[in-house]
Amino acid sequence: MIQEVSGVPAAEVTSEKSIVDDLDVDSLSMVEIGIALEDRLGVQIAEDRLREISTINDLVDHIDHSLNGR
Amino acid sequence: MGILSGKHLLVSGVLTKSSIAFHVAGLAQEQGADVTLTAYPRVSLVERLARLLPRPAAVIPLDVTDPESLAGLAERVGRHTGTLDGVLHSIAYAPPAALGGNFPGTGWPDVAATLHASTYSLHGLVTAVLPLLRSPGGSVVGLDFDASVAWPEYDWMGVAKSGLESCARYLAFYLGAQGIRVNLVAAGPLRTMAASNISRDGDGAGDFAALWHRRAPLGWDETNADPVARACVALFSDWFPATTGEIVHVDGGAHAVG
Ligand SMILES: NC(=O)c1ccc[n+]([C@@H]2O[C@H](COP(=O)([O-])OP(=O)(O)OC[C@H]3O[C@@H](n4cnc5c(N)ncnc54)[C@H](O)[C@@H]3O)[C@@H](O)[C@H]2O)c1
Repeated sequence: MIQEVSGVPAAEVTSEKSIVDDLDVDSLSMVEIGIALEDRLGVQIAEDRLREISTINDLVDHIDHSLNGR
Repeated sequence: MGILSGKHLLVSGVLTKSSIAFHVAGLAQEQGADVTLTAYPRVSLVERLARLLPRPAAVIPLDVTDPESLAGLAERVGRHTGTLDGVLHSIAYAPPAALGGNFPGTGWPDVAATLHASTYSLHGLVTAVLPLLRSPGGSVVGLDFDASVAWPEYDWMGVAKSGLESCARYLAFYLGAQGIRVNLVAAGPLRTMAASNISRDGDGAGDFAALWHRRAPLGWDETNADPVARACVALFSDWFPATTGEIVHVDGGAHAVG
Protein backbone atom coordinates (compact mmCIF):
# COMPACT_ATOMS: atom_id res chain seq x y z
CA MET A 1 0.00 0.00 0.00
CA ILE A 2 2.85 2.39 0.77
CA GLN A 3 4.17 1.46 -2.66
CA GLU A 4 0.86 2.33 -4.25
CA VAL A 5 0.59 5.74 -2.57
CA SER A 6 4.19 6.87 -2.65
CA GLY A 7 5.79 4.88 -5.44
CA VAL A 8 8.48 3.50 -3.10
CA PRO A 9 9.18 -0.15 -4.12
CA ALA A 10 7.70 -2.56 -1.58
CA ALA A 11 11.08 -4.29 -1.15
CA GLU A 12 12.55 -1.10 0.31
CA VAL A 13 9.84 -0.80 2.93
CA THR A 14 11.36 -2.50 5.98
CA SER A 15 10.22 -2.26 9.55
CA GLU A 16 12.87 -0.01 11.06
CA LYS A 17 12.97 2.51 8.26
CA SER A 18 11.74 6.01 8.84
CA ILE A 19 8.83 6.61 6.51
CA VAL A 20 9.43 10.30 6.02
CA ASP A 21 13.25 10.49 6.06
CA ASP A 22 14.49 7.19 4.60
CA LEU A 23 11.66 6.56 2.20
CA ASP A 24 11.15 10.22 1.32
CA VAL A 25 7.39 10.03 1.75
CA ASP A 26 6.02 13.55 2.24
CA SER A 27 3.38 14.55 4.74
CA LEU A 28 0.64 14.52 2.11
CA SER A 29 1.48 10.93 1.28
CA MET A 30 1.25 10.14 4.98
CA VAL A 31 -2.26 11.60 4.94
CA GLU A 32 -3.06 9.44 1.93
CA ILE A 33 -1.61 6.32 3.58
CA GLY A 34 -3.78 7.06 6.62
CA ILE A 35 -6.91 7.31 4.48
CA ALA A 36 -6.01 4.20 2.47
CA LEU A 37 -5.70 2.27 5.76
CA GLU A 38 -9.13 3.44 6.81
CA ASP A 39 -10.55 2.55 3.41
CA ARG A 40 -9.04 -0.97 3.26
CA LEU A 41 -8.74 -2.09 6.87
CA GLY A 42 -11.20 0.17 8.64
CA VAL A 43 -8.34 1.42 10.82
CA GLN A 44 -8.71 5.06 11.82
CA ILE A 45 -5.63 7.15 12.49
CA ALA A 46 -6.26 10.70 13.70
CA GLU A 47 -4.36 13.29 11.70
CA ASP A 48 -2.39 14.54 14.69
CA ARG A 49 -1.36 10.96 15.51
CA LEU A 50 -0.17 10.56 11.93
CA ARG A 51 2.47 13.21 12.62
CA GLU A 52 3.84 11.10 15.51
CA ILE A 53 4.30 8.04 13.33
CA SER A 54 7.80 7.97 11.92
CA THR A 55 8.87 4.39 11.21
CA ILE A 56 7.12 1.46 9.58
CA ASN A 57 7.26 -0.19 13.02
CA ASP A 58 5.28 2.71 14.53
CA LEU A 59 2.70 2.37 11.80
CA VAL A 60 2.36 -1.40 12.29
CA ASP A 61 2.07 -0.91 16.09
CA HIS A 62 -0.63 1.61 15.55
CA ILE A 63 -2.60 -0.66 13.22
CA ASP A 64 -2.23 -3.54 15.72
CA HIS A 65 -3.49 -1.31 18.46
CA SER A 66 -6.59 -0.19 16.62
CA LEU A 67 -7.44 -3.65 15.31
CA ASN A 68 -7.12 -5.22 18.78
CA GLY A 69 -8.86 -2.35 20.49
CA ARG A 70 -12.13 -3.12 18.73
CA MET B 1 -36.00 15.96 1.34
CA GLY B 2 -33.07 18.15 2.31
CA ILE B 3 -32.64 21.86 1.76
CA LEU B 4 -30.25 21.20 -1.14
CA SER B 5 -32.18 18.48 -2.93
CA GLY B 6 -31.85 18.70 -6.71
CA LYS B 7 -28.86 21.05 -6.47
CA HIS B 8 -25.41 20.39 -7.89
CA LEU B 9 -22.42 21.84 -6.09
CA LEU B 10 -18.77 22.17 -7.00
CA VAL B 11 -16.67 21.88 -3.84
CA SER B 12 -12.99 22.86 -3.78
CA GLY B 13 -10.60 22.48 -0.86
CA VAL B 14 -10.85 18.84 0.23
CA LEU B 15 -7.39 17.72 1.34
CA THR B 16 -7.87 15.72 4.55
CA LYS B 17 -10.79 14.48 6.61
CA SER B 18 -10.55 17.62 8.72
CA SER B 19 -10.76 19.97 5.73
CA ILE B 20 -13.69 22.34 6.14
CA ALA B 21 -14.66 21.45 2.56
CA PHE B 22 -14.89 17.73 3.44
CA HIS B 23 -17.51 18.58 6.06
CA VAL B 24 -19.40 20.86 3.71
CA ALA B 25 -19.41 18.15 1.00
CA GLY B 26 -20.75 15.50 3.39
CA LEU B 27 -23.44 17.72 4.87
CA ALA B 28 -24.49 18.99 1.43
CA GLN B 29 -24.92 15.39 0.28
CA GLU B 30 -26.98 14.60 3.37
CA GLN B 31 -29.15 17.58 2.43
CA GLY B 32 -29.72 16.15 -1.04
CA ALA B 33 -27.04 17.81 -3.15
CA ASP B 34 -24.99 16.19 -5.89
CA VAL B 35 -21.36 17.08 -5.23
CA THR B 36 -18.33 17.29 -7.52
CA LEU B 37 -14.98 17.76 -5.79
CA THR B 38 -11.91 19.51 -7.14
CA ALA B 39 -8.53 18.09 -6.18
CA TYR B 40 -5.16 19.71 -5.50
CA PRO B 41 -2.39 18.70 -5.52
CA ARG B 42 -3.17 15.01 -5.78
CA VAL B 43 -6.29 13.50 -7.35
CA SER B 44 -5.71 10.03 -5.83
CA LEU B 45 -5.84 11.45 -2.31
CA VAL B 46 -9.13 13.26 -2.90
CA GLU B 47 -10.60 10.19 -4.62
CA ARG B 48 -9.90 8.19 -1.46
CA LEU B 49 -11.56 10.89 0.65
CA ALA B 50 -14.53 10.97 -1.72
CA ARG B 51 -15.12 7.28 -0.90
CA LEU B 52 -15.53 8.24 2.76
CA LEU B 53 -18.40 10.65 1.96
CA PRO B 54 -22.03 9.55 2.43
CA ARG B 55 -22.54 9.39 -1.36
CA PRO B 56 -20.27 9.09 -4.41
CA ALA B 57 -18.72 12.31 -5.71
CA ALA B 58 -16.85 12.92 -8.95
CA VAL B 59 -13.32 14.27 -8.56
CA ILE B 60 -11.62 16.58 -11.03
CA PRO B 61 -8.16 18.14 -10.79
CA LEU B 62 -7.86 21.91 -10.30
CA ASP B 63 -4.94 24.20 -9.55
CA VAL B 64 -6.40 27.67 -9.08
CA THR B 65 -3.02 29.28 -9.76
CA ASP B 66 -2.75 27.63 -13.20
CA PRO B 67 -4.66 29.53 -15.92
CA GLU B 68 -4.83 26.41 -18.11
CA SER B 69 -6.33 24.36 -15.33
CA LEU B 70 -8.97 27.07 -14.76
CA ALA B 71 -9.66 27.38 -18.49
CA GLY B 72 -10.51 23.67 -18.74
CA LEU B 73 -12.62 23.58 -15.57
CA ALA B 74 -16.07 24.36 -16.98
CA GLU B 75 -15.68 21.68 -19.63
CA ARG B 76 -14.57 19.07 -17.07
CA VAL B 77 -17.37 19.97 -14.63
CA GLY B 78 -19.82 20.00 -17.55
CA ARG B 79 -19.19 16.28 -18.10
CA HIS B 80 -20.83 15.62 -14.73
CA THR B 81 -23.57 18.23 -14.68
CA GLY B 82 -25.27 20.69 -17.00
CA THR B 83 -25.62 23.52 -14.52
CA LEU B 84 -24.11 24.35 -11.18
CA ASP B 85 -26.22 25.70 -8.33
CA GLY B 86 -23.29 26.48 -6.11
CA VAL B 87 -19.52 26.70 -5.79
CA LEU B 88 -17.50 26.42 -2.58
CA HIS B 89 -14.16 28.24 -2.44
CA SER B 90 -12.24 26.68 0.44
CA ILE B 91 -8.72 27.42 -0.72
CA ALA B 92 -5.79 29.18 0.88
CA TYR B 93 -2.04 28.87 0.62
CA ALA B 94 0.87 30.91 1.88
CA PRO B 95 4.57 29.99 1.68
CA PRO B 96 6.24 29.64 5.12
CA ALA B 97 7.99 33.03 4.69
CA ALA B 98 4.61 34.80 4.53
CA LEU B 99 3.40 33.38 7.88
CA GLY B 100 4.52 32.90 11.45
CA GLY B 101 5.84 36.31 12.47
CA ASN B 102 8.01 37.24 9.50
CA PHE B 103 5.65 39.97 8.25
CA PRO B 104 8.15 42.85 7.95
CA GLY B 105 10.65 40.67 6.10
CA THR B 106 8.39 38.95 3.56
CA GLY B 107 9.35 39.62 -0.06
CA TRP B 108 7.00 40.14 -2.99
CA PRO B 109 7.32 36.66 -4.54
CA ASP B 110 6.01 35.07 -1.32
CA VAL B 111 3.32 37.72 -0.94
CA ALA B 112 2.31 37.27 -4.57
CA ALA B 113 2.02 33.49 -4.15
CA THR B 114 -0.20 34.04 -1.10
CA LEU B 115 -2.52 36.50 -2.85
CA HIS B 116 -2.66 34.40 -6.01
CA ALA B 117 -3.78 31.20 -4.27
CA SER B 118 -5.88 32.78 -1.51
CA THR B 119 -7.43 35.98 -2.94
CA TYR B 120 -7.34 36.12 -6.72
CA SER B 121 -8.37 32.44 -6.78
CA LEU B 122 -11.93 33.41 -5.79
CA HIS B 123 -12.19 35.51 -8.92
CA GLY B 124 -10.46 32.77 -10.93
CA LEU B 125 -12.71 29.96 -9.71
CA VAL B 126 -15.95 31.90 -10.06
CA THR B 127 -15.25 33.28 -13.53
CA ALA B 128 -14.08 29.83 -14.70
CA VAL B 129 -17.43 28.21 -13.86
CA LEU B 130 -19.64 31.22 -14.58
CA PRO B 131 -20.97 29.69 -17.84
CA LEU B 132 -22.38 26.80 -15.76
CA LEU B 133 -23.67 28.78 -12.78
CA ARG B 134 -27.46 28.92 -12.58
CA SER B 135 -28.79 32.37 -13.39
CA PRO B 136 -30.71 33.42 -11.44
CA GLY B 137 -30.18 31.37 -8.28
CA GLY B 138 -26.50 30.42 -8.26
CA SER B 139 -24.65 30.73 -4.96
CA VAL B 140 -20.93 31.17 -4.32
CA VAL B 141 -19.61 30.60 -0.80
CA GLY B 142 -16.03 31.23 0.32
CA LEU B 143 -14.17 30.56 3.58
CA ASP B 144 -12.80 33.59 5.40
CA PHE B 145 -10.97 34.34 8.63
CA ASP B 146 -12.03 37.68 10.16
CA ALA B 147 -9.77 40.21 8.47
CA SER B 148 -10.98 43.34 10.26
CA VAL B 149 -8.01 43.23 12.65
CA ALA B 150 -4.39 41.98 12.59
CA TRP B 151 -3.70 38.61 14.21
CA PRO B 152 -0.40 37.26 15.56
CA GLU B 153 1.43 35.12 12.98
CA TYR B 154 -1.43 35.15 10.46
CA ASP B 155 0.53 37.83 8.62
CA TRP B 156 0.14 37.91 4.83
CA MET B 157 -2.73 35.43 4.98
CA GLY B 158 -4.56 38.15 6.90
CA VAL B 159 -3.86 40.59 4.09
CA ALA B 160 -5.04 37.93 1.62
CA LYS B 161 -8.29 37.49 3.58
CA SER B 162 -8.90 41.28 3.55
CA GLY B 163 -8.55 41.08 -0.20
CA LEU B 164 -10.84 38.04 -0.31
CA GLU B 165 -13.52 39.96 1.58
CA SER B 166 -13.29 42.82 -0.89
CA CYS B 167 -13.13 40.47 -3.89
CA ALA B 168 -16.33 38.77 -2.70
CA ARG B 169 -18.09 42.15 -2.47
CA TYR B 170 -17.02 43.07 -6.00
CA LEU B 171 -18.12 39.70 -7.37
CA ALA B 172 -21.45 40.19 -5.57
CA PHE B 173 -21.68 43.61 -7.24
CA TYR B 174 -20.93 42.36 -10.74
CA LEU B 175 -22.88 39.07 -10.60
CA GLY B 176 -25.96 40.46 -8.86
CA ALA B 177 -27.57 41.34 -12.17
CA GLN B 178 -27.45 37.64 -13.08
CA GLY B 179 -29.08 36.67 -9.80
CA ILE B 180 -25.91 35.06 -8.48
CA ARG B 181 -25.09 35.50 -4.79
CA VAL B 182 -21.55 35.66 -3.38
CA ASN B 183 -21.02 35.32 0.37
CA LEU B 184 -18.27 34.40 2.81
CA VAL B 185 -18.34 32.41 6.02
CA ALA B 186 -15.80 33.76 8.54
CA ALA B 187 -14.95 30.69 10.58
CA GLY B 188 -13.37 30.52 14.01
CA PRO B 189 -10.14 28.49 14.28
CA LEU B 190 -10.38 24.80 13.30
CA ARG B 191 -7.71 22.11 13.39
CA THR B 192 -6.85 21.52 9.74
CA MET B 193 -3.73 21.17 7.63
CA ALA B 194 -3.90 24.85 6.62
CA ALA B 195 -4.17 25.93 10.25
CA SER B 196 -1.18 23.84 11.34
CA ASN B 197 0.99 25.71 8.84
CA ILE B 198 0.29 29.15 10.31
CA SER B 199 2.77 29.17 13.17
CA ARG B 200 6.32 27.91 13.36
CA ASP B 201 5.53 25.43 16.14
CA GLY B 202 2.78 23.89 14.01
CA ASP B 203 0.08 24.79 16.51
CA GLY B 204 -1.51 27.83 14.93
CA ALA B 205 -4.98 26.44 15.53
CA GLY B 206 -4.12 25.84 19.20
CA ASP B 207 -2.96 29.43 19.79
CA PHE B 208 -6.05 30.85 18.12
CA ALA B 209 -8.30 28.38 19.90
CA ALA B 210 -7.04 29.55 23.31
CA LEU B 211 -8.06 33.09 22.32
CA TRP B 212 -11.48 31.86 21.19
CA HIS B 213 -12.04 29.91 24.41
CA ARG B 214 -11.56 33.17 26.31
CA ARG B 215 -13.60 35.42 24.04
CA ALA B 216 -16.40 33.59 22.21
CA PRO B 217 -19.71 34.18 24.06
CA LEU B 218 -21.03 30.83 22.81
CA GLY B 219 -17.73 29.03 23.41
CA TRP B 220 -15.79 27.37 20.61
CA ASP B 221 -14.70 23.84 19.69
CA GLU B 222 -11.77 23.91 17.26
CA THR B 223 -12.28 20.22 16.45
CA ASN B 224 -15.85 20.62 15.19
CA ALA B 225 -16.33 21.98 11.67
CA ASP B 226 -20.05 21.18 11.64
CA PRO B 227 -21.29 24.69 12.56
CA VAL B 228 -19.23 26.15 9.71
CA ALA B 229 -20.45 23.49 7.27
CA ARG B 230 -24.05 24.20 8.26
CA ALA B 231 -23.68 27.90 7.48
CA CYS B 232 -22.19 27.08 4.07
CA VAL B 233 -25.03 24.66 3.30
CA ALA B 234 -27.59 27.27 4.40
CA LEU B 235 -26.03 29.85 2.06
CA PHE B 236 -26.21 27.34 -0.82
CA SER B 237 -29.89 26.75 -0.08
CA ASP B 238 -32.84 28.91 -1.10
CA TRP B 239 -33.11 30.29 2.43
CA PHE B 240 -30.85 33.33 1.88
CA PRO B 241 -32.37 34.55 -1.40
CA ALA B 242 -31.70 38.27 -0.84
CA THR B 243 -28.28 38.04 0.80
CA THR B 244 -25.10 38.78 -1.12
CA GLY B 245 -21.75 40.43 -0.44
CA GLU B 246 -22.23 39.30 3.16
CA ILE B 247 -19.78 37.86 5.69
CA VAL B 248 -21.47 35.41 8.04
CA HIS B 249 -19.39 34.91 11.18
CA VAL B 250 -19.44 31.36 12.48
CA ASP B 251 -17.07 31.92 15.37
CA GLY B 252 -19.08 31.52 18.55
CA GLY B 253 -19.57 35.29 18.49
CA ALA B 254 -15.90 36.14 19.09
CA HIS B 255 -15.89 38.91 16.48
CA ALA B 256 -18.61 40.80 18.31
CA VAL B 257 -16.89 41.27 21.65
CA GLY B 258 -13.80 43.16 22.83
N1 LIG C 1 -8.85 26.11 9.72
C1 LIG C 1 -9.16 27.32 10.15
O1 LIG C 1 -8.94 27.66 11.32
C2 LIG C 1 -9.84 28.30 9.22
C3 LIG C 1 -10.53 29.39 9.77
C4 LIG C 1 -11.13 30.31 8.90
C5 LIG C 1 -11.04 30.12 7.54
N2 LIG C 1 -10.35 29.06 7.03
C6 LIG C 1 -10.27 28.91 5.57
O2 LIG C 1 -10.91 27.74 5.15
C7 LIG C 1 -10.39 27.36 3.90
C8 LIG C 1 -10.05 25.87 3.90
O3 LIG C 1 -8.98 25.61 4.79
P1 LIG C 1 -8.97 24.38 5.82
O4 LIG C 1 -8.78 24.98 7.15
O5 LIG C 1 -10.10 23.48 5.57
O6 LIG C 1 -7.57 23.68 5.50
P2 LIG C 1 -7.15 22.58 4.38
O7 LIG C 1 -5.66 22.57 4.42
O8 LIG C 1 -7.86 21.33 4.63
O9 LIG C 1 -7.66 23.23 3.02
C9 LIG C 1 -6.92 24.14 2.24
C10 LIG C 1 -7.20 23.77 0.79
O10 LIG C 1 -6.61 24.68 -0.14
C11 LIG C 1 -6.31 23.94 -1.28
N3 LIG C 1 -5.37 24.62 -2.17
C12 LIG C 1 -4.21 25.23 -1.83
N4 LIG C 1 -3.61 25.70 -2.94
C13 LIG C 1 -4.41 25.36 -4.00
C14 LIG C 1 -4.34 25.57 -5.42
N5 LIG C 1 -3.29 26.20 -5.98
N6 LIG C 1 -5.35 25.11 -6.20
C15 LIG C 1 -6.42 24.47 -5.64
N7 LIG C 1 -6.54 24.25 -4.31
C16 LIG C 1 -5.55 24.69 -3.51
C17 LIG C 1 -5.72 22.66 -0.73
O11 LIG C 1 -5.75 21.62 -1.69
C18 LIG C 1 -6.64 22.39 0.44
O12 LIG C 1 -7.69 21.55 0.02
C19 LIG C 1 -9.20 28.28 3.63
O13 LIG C 1 -9.62 29.36 2.83
C20 LIG C 1 -8.87 28.78 5.02
O14 LIG C 1 -8.20 30.02 5.01
C21 LIG C 1 -9.77 28.14 7.84
